Amino acid sequence: MPNAVEFLQSVVNGIGVGLIYGLVGIGFCVIYNASGIVNFAQGVFVMLGGMVCQVLLAQLGIPLVLAVALTIPLVAISGMIMELAIVRPMMHRGATLFAIILATLAAQIMIERIVLLTLGDRPRTFSEFTPGGPLKIGDVAIGYQLFWILGCGAFLVLLLWLFFTRTRTGRALRACSQNREAAQLLGIPVSHMMLVAFALSAALGAVAGILVTPTQYTAYNVGTPFGVNGFIAAIIGGFGRAGGALAGGLLLGVLQALAIVALGAGFKNVAALSVLLVVLLLFPNGLFAGFGSKAKAH
Amino acid sequence: MTSHATISIEPVGVRWQSMLPPLAVLALAGLGLLSSDYVVTVLGFAFIYAIFCTGLNFFMGYTGQASFGQSAFAAIGGYGSAILCADYGWEPLLALLFTMAISGVAAVFVGYPTLRLRGHYLAMATFALGLIVYEISIEWTSLTQGYMGYSGVPPLGIAGFDLVTVKQQLVALAVVALFGVFVAARLRQSRFGRALASIAGSEPAARALGVDIARYKLIAFVIGALYASAAGSLFAHFVGFISPEVFGVTMVVQSFAMLYLGGIGTMWGPTIGAVIVSVLPEALRGLKEMQDIAYTAILIFILIFAPRGLAGLSALFKRDRAQTREGA
Repeated sequence: MPNAVEFLQSVVNGIGVGLIYGLVGIGFCVIYNASGIVNFAQGVFVMLGGMVCQVLLAQLGIPLVLAVALTIPLVAISGMIMELAIVRPMMHRGATLFAIILATLAAQIMIERIVLLTLGDRPRTFSEFTPGGPLKIGDVAIGYQLFWILGCGAFLVLLLWLFFTRTRTGRALRACSQNREAAQLLGIPVSHMMLVAFALSAALGAVAGILVTPTQYTAYNVGTPFGVNGFIAAIIGGFGRAGGALAGGLLLGVLQALAIVALGAGFKNVAALSVLLVVLLLFPNGLFAGFGSKAKAH
Repeated sequence: MTSHATISIEPVGVRWQSMLPPLAVLALAGLGLLSSDYVVTVLGFAFIYAIFCTGLNFFMGYTGQASFGQSAFAAIGGYGSAILCADYGWEPLLALLFTMAISGVAAVFVGYPTLRLRGHYLAMATFALGLIVYEISIEWTSLTQGYMGYSGVPPLGIAGFDLVTVKQQLVALAVVALFGVFVAARLRQSRFGRALASIAGSEPAARALGVDIARYKLIAFVIGALYASAAGSLFAHFVGFISPEVFGVTMVVQSFAMLYLGGIGTMWGPTIGAVIVSVLPEALRGLKEMQDIAYTAILIFILIFAPRGLAGLSALFKRDRAQTREGA
């Protein structure tokens, strides 16, 4: 039985990772709302964020602030390429939903293999944004990076909220998510909005990747777990709701951290995937939608 | 014809054209016998994948559903056969049938709740199943030996008569693959197969016609799992070694590339796709490093430009024939 300190420690760790899952989950929602597609390659943006930033920092010696400022647009461009080269032509040709999902999954593996061939399979990491720490409260240690994750995460959520409520583009995106035909009739360039959604979603993934890398490591294959956990976060929150995805991510992160204490590190993904199946089967509209509600017609 | 594009029930009856694909498979196996062991190995993988894809085709092509986690059942078959034969000295054939039964039962338990889901949820739920089994095969080291993999799996054989050389095994694999397609073809033209096609066309319409949708979907899923399990077992015997990587996400994408290249929803499409996708990288030797990139590129290209695969070409041919017949 884990004692109170272990319990608190894992909750603290879980909140950090959970916020990252939440950001990835929001990325899923942004694309889903704009296009009706679930981008299975979402996790690859997290991997790219960490890898690109590490290369810029360690191999090119660029200072952190500049590296971050370069990484985010670079990854956003990769998201736009994915939209332009794969998703858009398929939608134009009326491809089936499963075919589009499959194409995004294939894109993820392709990007992973390209990274593997160019950067190798060595796990990489870079140092925390501020040296020193961890902060000790009683026996619970809190790394400084956690504060960065929490701070940047909260800041991003605020920015997203402002974007979706105050800017023309953000409101146009929300209009697309409510009714795409009506949005098109109102003169909103829907296909342009999809491009914006992919860029935004990729950028969110990149930030998540940059924030989380100092606390663990990054390698060509870290994308799938982040993508799947982000998807689980989005499902828990009721798919398509950004706030729900964030809350779902935090819940999942804490649950997973507790599962590590209880079951051992190896089975944390098994635990998360089991949560996914339970939520999908019992609460298809998310945990926060109330019990016994009917499944959305997908 | 306004029905689902990939589904068309062909009239029953043997025409000489229908004998071409099995003869081609046998010719390919014969060609393998005359070639080096390397070519034999490549063809063996192609036939194993043909079995896997034929099963997947049941669920995705005929029934119009999606399973991104079929590799889970191949893993059950592969590890089951490996452990039963290497550690407990079971007969390979017995182990193959036994693990198929386990996979089938697992598919019933997993499929019953999961197949209620649709669209993205079904795709992600099945994907999660595949990942769960993959993770377990890595972590449960006392059973699977983790990343180290399981070696020393004996070759195929019946009652003490082992198929020692790879060439003997290739013949066995070709026969099993042909048998698999034969069973699939018979099932497809049965009442059961027509019910699946009606589900793919329109679920409400199928329900209105009295098709028990949940039950038929589940049966199609179980059949796919049986094929996948058999393919996994055959892989273990053919190579003599398995590791978690064999049954990872790459397997899923590779099998989809085969299915879509050959033509999803067609009888011979999975086999044709499996042979082409297996042989092509070997033909282009320089691509060794880039193999996975090539698979994914082929898959994306087909999904965008030719979602019906090579079989789409033969459909063009068939339409001409049908028109001439009407005219006559």
